[in-house]
Amino acid sequence: MSVRFQIAAGTALATLALALLAVALRTDHLVRAAEADDVNYASPLEVLLSPDGARLYVLCQQSEEVRVLDAATYAVMKTIAVGRVPRGFSLSRDGARLFVTNSWDDTLSVIDTRTLAVTATWPVGAEPSSIVEDRAGKRLFVANRISNDVAVLDAQSGKEEKRLLAGRGSSYLTISPDGSRIYATHVYPNPPHVRTEFDNRTAPESEITVIDTARAVVVDRMPLYRIAGVFHLAFSSDGRLGAVAEYHPKNLVPLAHLEHGGAFAYTLTIFGADVGKTSIEVPLDELERYASQPFGVAIAPDKSRIYVTIGGSECVIVIDVPRLMRFIHTRPRPQSGSFAYDLSASANYVVARIPVGHNPRGLALTRDGRKLFVANRLEDTISVIDTRSNRVAATITLAGPKTISEQRHGEQTFYTARQSFQGQIGCASCHIDSTFDGLTWDLEPDGFGRDIVDNKMLEGVKGTEPYKWNGGNPNIPTECGPRTEKYFWRSENYDNLTLADLVVYIRNMPTRPNRWKLPGHEMTPAQERGRALFTRSVDKFGKPIIEYNRCSYCHSGPKGTNQKLFDVGTRKPTDNSGILKSPPLTEIALTSPYLHDGSARTLEEIWTVYNPEDKHGRTNDLTKDELNDLIEYLRTR
Amino acid sequence: MSSASRALAIAASAALLIPVCGFAPNTARSSDAEIGADLIVTAAPAYEPLAALRGAERFPKGAQLLIVHEGKTEPLMMGFAASADANVSFDGKTVLFAGKQAASDPWQIWELTLADRSVRKVIATATDAVRPLYLPGRRMVWAQRELWGFQMESAEDGHTAAHAFLNPAAGPGVLPLTYTQASVFPDDVLADGRILFEAGFPLGTGATPELFLVYADGSGVESYRCDHGRARWGGRQMNSGDVIFTHGASLARFTSPLAREELIAAPQAEYAGAIAETASGAWLVSARTASGTHYALKLWKPGSVALQAVLTVNGENLVEPVLIAPRNTPKRHPSGLHDWDYANMLALNARQSRMGDLKAAPASVRLETQDAQGHAVVMGAAPVESDGSFFVKTPADKPIRFALLDTKGTVMRQEHGWFWIRRGEQRICVGCHTGPERAAENRMPAVLLRTTTPVDLSGAIVTSTAQQKSPGGN
Repeated sequence: MSVRFQIAAGTALATLALALLAVALRTDHLVRAAEADDVNYASPLEVLLSPDGARLYVLCQQSEEVRVLDAATYAVMKTIAVGRVPRGFSLSRDGARLFVTNSWDDTLSVIDTRTLAVTATWPVGAEPSSIVEDRAGKRLFVANRISNDVAVLDAQSGKEEKRLLAGRGSSYLTISPDGSRIYATHVYPNPPHVRTEFDNRTAPESEITVIDTARAVVVDRMPLYRIAGVFHLAFSSDGRLGAVAEYHPKNLVPLAHLEHGGAFAYTLTIFGADVGKTSIEVPLDELERYASQPFGVAIAPDKSRIYVTIGGSECVIVIDVPRLMRFIHTRPRPQSGSFAYDLSASANYVVARIPVGHNPRGLALTRDGRKLFVANRLEDTISVIDTRSNRVAATITLAGPKTISEQRHGEQTFYTARQSFQGQIGCASCHIDSTFDGLTWDLEPDGFGRDIVDNKMLEGVKGTEPYKWNGGNPNIPTECGPRTEKYFWRSENYDNLTLADLVVYIRNMPTRPNRWKLPGHEMTPAQERGRALFTRSVDKFGKPIIEYNRCSYCHSGPKGTNQKLFDVGTRKPTDNSGILKSPPLTEIALTSPYLHDGSARTLEEIWTVYNPEDKHGRTNDLTKDELNDLIEYLRTR
Repeated sequence: MSSASRALAIAASAALLIPVCGFAPNTARSSDAEIGADLIVTAAPAYEPLAALRGAERFPKGAQLLIVHEGKTEPLMMGFAASADANVSFDGKTVLFAGKQAASDPWQIWELTLADRSVRKVIATATDAVRPLYLPGRRMVWAQRELWGFQMESAEDGHTAAHAFLNPAAGPGVLPLTYTQASVFPDDVLADGRILFEAGFPLGTGATPELFLVYADGSGVESYRCDHGRARWGGRQMNSGDVIFTHGASLARFTSPLAREELIAAPQAEYAGAIAETASGAWLVSARTASGTHYALKLWKPGSVALQAVLTVNGENLVEPVLIAPRNTPKRHPSGLHDWDYANMLALNARQSRMGDLKAAPASVRLETQDAQGHAVVMGAAPVESDGSFFVKTPADKPIRFALLDTKGTVMRQEHGWFWIRRGEQRICVGCHTGPERAAENRMPAVLLRTTTPVDLSGAIVTSTAQQKSPGGN
């Protein structure tokens, strides 16, 4: 190595170190500022119109309220406080009641739309995310994200009748125009049905769960092959065309570059009588411009257009339905049923991309189809689009802080896809709603096909460094800065101040309530037994368990990690090293698959399949029931 | 034309031009407001834009950069026998250009500071250096004449006199970006940070001008679009993201939704070279009414039926206009190249091709490179898996091409041209010439289930291609 190179390298390292130090110092300062900050943004997530079109209801997730606006003047008529982190809402058929799902306190707010007051708050399942009422007004259906089901409630009393198993991360419900069916989608891929040697390397699958409304039973599970992340679904008014927004990851291909859809396709699956016997997947992307993170879907009353909000690309995509139909009926259908691999396909049916605000989500069309309201979640605005000109005709500013806090700016940075090459991905592409995606990825720097890694939950990540499964990144600024620029965005990153804001957001990401903990931190008998197993120092045969082979040693501390690296015997032939960081246990019940490469589908498999030599803690002396107890305890972490 | 006579011609031309405004420009003042900025244009008595791809002179009778300021036209700078290839910095304050102080000099790269019109030499080499462009991150790219013609190189631009490069082709800090035995020229730096360049198609062997892309570290080279066959050159990106270029003597575009070029319905005329977009969205174009006449500078509002006169100079072609105005800085490409002296390439399904998928399964893939004389040298072969995937370690920074072979060793399909993979680059191809519109399928390549070690084809196993069976594919 030449002296000149050494000097240059040393200078570069010193510069990098100083830059990271500056970010760290700013981060610490801003963390304190953010923690002390009482900034309360509205964060409009969903919008809907009253049946007569006179009112616009806006679900504000962060301020935890429903704002009722005059749909003509946009004046605020009323603000109604609801529960924690509301995620979905819908009107009863007669418009007399507005139901709001409060995802973090597991309740349902019932609002009388005449008095605009909450008349009841009913307990529901874990993380209720959307709700619909049947046409008879007898039952409510609630999608519960954490319990992966749809709860069926009595519409008058709120009493739960039963649960219907839905997809993993059950989140969005749509009732068919004739009211006979309810369609449920889910944000995390379903676990593989069949165990194979390459479970962690099979394409994800999702479904649309179809429920018979009258009988409240599941009558179909429409498969969505290769899809992970399914969001809103909409029908044409005649019920002959359905469309659902979804992510189509490329997690099985080494993530070497982003061109040619290297990381994701963003698509619609369309189905129904207009489409034919089988559904078909059509891309929203173009060759050099992606439609990152589609979310909301609306179909014009005359079925001429489909509108899709694109959260990461900060726009609304307009699809010409007759052209779309012509495309799917004249092109030879791929055997896979998907056009997602043709980046020139969307030129046949996408007719406009309308720029809107930060992170557009829910949308609502007026009955005449002339106005489209779009909730810009991270901008506290509603874009009003004139659908004849495909332009934003007005922007409704929701009352809220005028300034953008560092944390808010960091959240905008987290969700936008602007940073990445051709706008293909943002942090939220893989960390759906700031969580995870249930997928394993093959990152390029470790070698093609090597070091397959499970994507991790971000909540509670503060204070669990080092990061990456191999512990290669000492802190969040390094993780989100140069590494992300080079190996994820493949394009120029944000500046250091924006990076600092992003770090502030990630470090201050709130942790959702743990549904397995009892009030007052009491434990069930099973949880108590599990805790005893977790902390034990002697096995069932009376033999001491060496300290580093106790669960509680590596998974110590409030977040369940001692932040050290160990070999727990899980190394695969394709892994460059078996030395791995002990991961935190935060919300571990939610985040399957497990182990560094996602090879364990369940917590139980960690010990029953992947711990034959007791290197990953002494567990082979435990019975099935005892492992269940251990799992019961782990779920409380 | 000999270099001596060419020098005389340039000198004569310069003598005509240098007496300020001795060339009697005819400027249409009415267009000033619509252009909204000063502009620079190259004036040349003769313009043969595609000659450069053959290694010949684009401006055989010389050229001079003119500045149009408030309707007044004058030479951009004094003291140059020839100047061309203006590129305005992102802040609108400086101009890179190719120039010759004496007619017998090679073209070199210079930078002009607009505020005081001072000029500094930023590239000093023994051979021609032309077509400089600013890159983000205080770097620049240009075309350097080398053994096989012009190649693109890149270097940090110090923006100070002390940082003028001395013989950069041999010195430190210069990064060769292209590795082909044919001439290539940078056209523009796209908003996403990639460099748009023109070369003959098939790359390294063909003569039809075509537009290609490469990252700023020389990785990821590919055709912009794969509807090849027409002469495409003089590309420049507009604010919309579309790339407008000259197609024969017409204008055409590449636009993000389409995998093929789209002709532009511009008024009847012969167009040439890159265009410039004004702040109002109008285009400055070089156009002429008939072959044999000179190109004048015109303004066209897309969608309108007529060209508007901007500037004509008797006996001169006015080409390659650029506006003097700040513009958006493209994104910098963060190079992810590894510290290796080889490269890896993974093909996901070699059977897939824009020319029709192979019906029969190839048994192996053969890699060739070119020796110093341009002869094909076989580097070896690797198996192709049943799903069409293969994974090979290749020579880096050299022309390479692949051929798919059947079980008997007969070529089923072979690349027409050559490309390269940079040192430390790990590249994935969706198929064999699938076109940029073909996205990767989410499928674990069978080859990676079998092994994560690429077949090493990076060391020469010298075999004459004449010993191989003749190609049976295209």
